[in-house]
Amino acid sequence: MLRRRVIPYFLLGPGTFWLVLFFVVPLYYMFKLSLETGVVGNLEFNWHWANYSNVFDLYHTQLVRSFVYSGVATLVALLLAYPLAYTVAFKAGRFRTLLLFAVVAPFFTTYLIRTLAWETILSDGSPVTSFLHAVGLAPSGHVLATSFAVIAGLTYNYIPFMFLPIYASLERLDVRLIEAANDLYCSAKQAFFRVTLPLSLPGIVAGTLLTFIPASGDYINAQFLGGAGNRMIGNVIQSLYLTQSDYPAAAALSFVLMAIILVIVLIYIRFAGTEALMGEDAR
Amino acid sequence: MSERLRAHTSRFVAGLALLALLVGVAACGGGGGIEGGGSTEVSTVEAESKPSGELTISNWPLYIDKQTIPDFEKATGVKVKYIEDINSPEEYFNKMQPLLAKGESGGRSLMMLPDYTVAKMHELGYVQALDKAAMPDVEKNLIKSLRHPSFDPERSYTVPWASGMTGLIVNKELAPEIHSICDLFESRYKGKVEFLNEARETVPLVMKCEGVDPETATEADWMKAIDKIKAAAQSGQIRRFTGNEYVQDLLNGNVAAVIGWSGDGVQLELEDPKLEWRMPTEGCMFWSENAVIPVGAPNPTAAEAFMNYVYDPQHQAQLTETINVVSPVEGVRPIIEKKGSDSANLKLIFPSSSFTKNCSSIPILKGEEEQNILQAFDSVLNE
Repeated sequence: MLRRRVIPYFLLGPGTFWLVLFFVVPLYYMFKLSLETGVVGNLEFNWHWANYSNVFDLYHTQLVRSFVYSGVATLVALLLAYPLAYTVAFKAGRFRTLLLFAVVAPFFTTYLIRTLAWETILSDGSPVTSFLHAVGLAPSGHVLATSFAVIAGLTYNYIPFMFLPIYASLERLDVRLIEAANDLYCSAKQAFFRVTLPLSLPGIVAGTLLTFIPASGDYINAQFLGGAGNRMIGNVIQSLYLTQSDYPAAAALSFVLMAIILVIVLIYIRFAGTEALMGEDAR
Repeated sequence: MSERLRAHTSRFVAGLALLALLVGVAACGGGGGIEGGGSTEVSTVEAESKPSGELTISNWPLYIDKQTIPDFEKATGVKVKYIEDINSPEEYFNKMQPLLAKGESGGRSLMMLPDYTVAKMHELGYVQALDKAAMPDVEKNLIKSLRHPSFDPERSYTVPWASGMTGLIVNKELAPEIHSICDLFESRYKGKVEFLNEARETVPLVMKCEGVDPETATEADWMKAIDKIKAAAQSGQIRRFTGNEYVQDLLNGNVAAVIGWSGDGVQLELEDPKLEWRMPTEGCMFWSENAVIPVGAPNPTAAEAFMNYVYDPQHQAQLTETINVVSPVEGVRPIIEKKGSDSANLKLIFPSSSFTKNCSSIPILKGEEEQNILQAFDSVLNE
């Protein structure tokens, strides 16, 4: 009996230890830093809450911009990834493994290199840019160094995080339920909206979170694909830490970002329902 | 597929997604730690009889040729650890500052940093005075124009490593008529020009376009120039602010002209004949990287021996040919000319005093003024 009670704690041990050491402890120090004043080497802790209002005043444009960029990227990724996941799960037949591999394959190259490749793909004279210009999607004559390029880069880089959870939930969907819907006179469209889509909601919720959260704090895409006026909040935090060496402001801004993401996610989960996130097991 | 196996697969896939996310995050994390070490005694460097042991040098990437280090090791028996970990003086200084404040150098005995950074380090007591007797070649061969800079009039704690000019790099086909910094603000080049993300170079050049001498400029002059840059960024005139990522944009034909460095100019002219480094009609910004020996540096004797070694014109010529920047050593030009080296755009590597007559040195800002100016410029970058 005792053993049964102790074992779960024992199993939690390593993970908890890891999280405390590499997440809770740094978080504590960062929080402390966010309430300090002074210059590097001579920082003083004095509950300086004004750091928070200051960074919010100075950088709310970039905060809003980050959430708009990552929101649009998440939506586009969802619209692209869902049909893809559906096809791979239900229609791919013997090509399924190959297609899955094709989706994950870009991850064998690092994030940075993939983004830098886009710099070449979208350069001013490239066929892609000429095409976009011809169809009126690049009014300024260039695609690189615009918000379009940043959002495209975010979408591309995070699509697998959207795809894999959706695929996972579609793939374990019991096809007999769809057959039953058809037997009960559902049209294909009705069967999709009443059976398939609701049952894949856990995947959609997980996918959107896995895309939206890291995309909001991303700075690589804005750094390489964006131009003047396209900086995201991640770029600001990086510059506060590394070039302006204003550690307290950088820490405060990181907390503001974290808090806003947390609020957005909580509202979203509340709206989407926790069952959707946890899957039917939670019921 | 059985129900159970299915569940397994989907869990596996979800796990894969998480793993991929973690890998992605870790990949951006990057960045190396700084190893500790180094003694804590702070004093003037004292020459021991002969250099020996190990020497750790911190420098910018691509700032040395392949031969100098092995040759120096062979000549002196000193073992060199050469680290290319300086990409931005601010970032580097901020990374090292906590160590330096404790009187440690992270094991490094030489750091190559710009004038304003070494001036700041000197003020904070982070550098050691040099023993000139240990560096006779530096005494003998340092070019005249660099002997008495304002921040170190007697070169008592710095030795120049390399210098260069910040001016224009122009695509002759796309923008044959760009000759001045003022030209970059012309509306026909909208979205086709890039400015450097270095406040101390970009802003003074714009001040020169406005007819203000950066060396006597007031804070208000700086702010006015920053406003001009800000307006140009907001209107889409300036495509983006870069470090030397402008190289890619120039080679891809994305931009007509950038504010750029002469060292890159030499290289780009070789790679693409359409590209050319131009001296702005307003003049350039002239900068230097200086070798300093930080506090707590192990083996300063070897560090001085190394600087003395590269100040031999023969040794220096080898280095200059590779890195294409202005050499601080007298007597290198005849050696390179004699070799008939194809790489030498001599005008940019050995600029004559008439060529650089309108150039200004990088202003050294201090205290609150520095903070205000850098903050204002950074807010334009982060716009």
